[in-house]
Amino acid sequence: MAVLSAASRAGIWRKVQRYWSDQREACNFTKAQLSAAVDATDDWIEANQTSFNQALPAQFRNNATLQQKTILFLYVAARRAGLLDWADGD
Amino acid sequence: MATRFLLTPASAEMPSSNFPALVPVNTTERRMALAFDASTQETCAWTVVVPQGTTGTITAVISYAMASATTGGVAFEIGVEALTSGDAVDLDASTSYDTTNTGTDAAVPGTAGYMEQLSITLSNVDGWAAADLARVYLRRAPANAADTATGDAYVFALEIRDGA
Repeated sequence: MAVLSAASRAGIWRKVQRYWSDQREACNFTKAQLSAAVDATDDWIEANQTSFNQALPAQFRNNATLQQKTILFLYVAARRAGLLDWADGD
Repeated sequence: MATRFLLTPASAEMPSSNFPALVPVNTTERRMALAFDASTQETCAWTVVVPQGTTGTITAVISYAMASATTGGVAFEIGVEALTSGDAVDLDASTSYDTTNTGTDAAVPGTAGYMEQLSITLSNVDGWAAADLARVYLRRAPANAADTATGDAYVFALEIRDGA
């Protein structure tokens, strides 16, 4: 898997700004700093995807799809950041 | 100095694409604003008739707040088209705007939602004179080097002053 295209990275840059605007969430950084952060995040995923995959239990790793592993990663990361809107018992 | 126009979000005219959304900034009070995107250049306009007695330097004052940004700057552009009765401009097919006037604010308010006013001297008003049918457009300039603030810029009002 390659890093995202410049257009895809720009799309994320636009999307998160609109999300934070809608949320009225204070952003103490500039557009350029956010753009660099998008790039760094994509680069980090590119550099560490193998490590993440190897950290998964073998049975899951060998049978789950890329999309399933990605959703798993997103859900765990979102829960850690308090971004999921359901309770632990749901 | 006299106020000649007070242009509000609800009276803005929108092009067919890339226009600022008309949004309630405060959902309880329904304080309305035009939300200008940080990456896509969005434009709206107002049609006015230049009042009798208009004279001197024309100045625009933009009352804005940022949706989320607490650092960085913003840039806006204002254009003017002034038509005198009988001018050879086909209004259903063309425009005749003067050169754009640009204004920048190097530092947005440190708290999102705080209002700040940006004053722009309109050096290019298409030679407008009393009784002209004029159109004034407003747009954010996200590609301007001074426009560094993230997220939407909310515009609450655009005031046009002259030197009277």
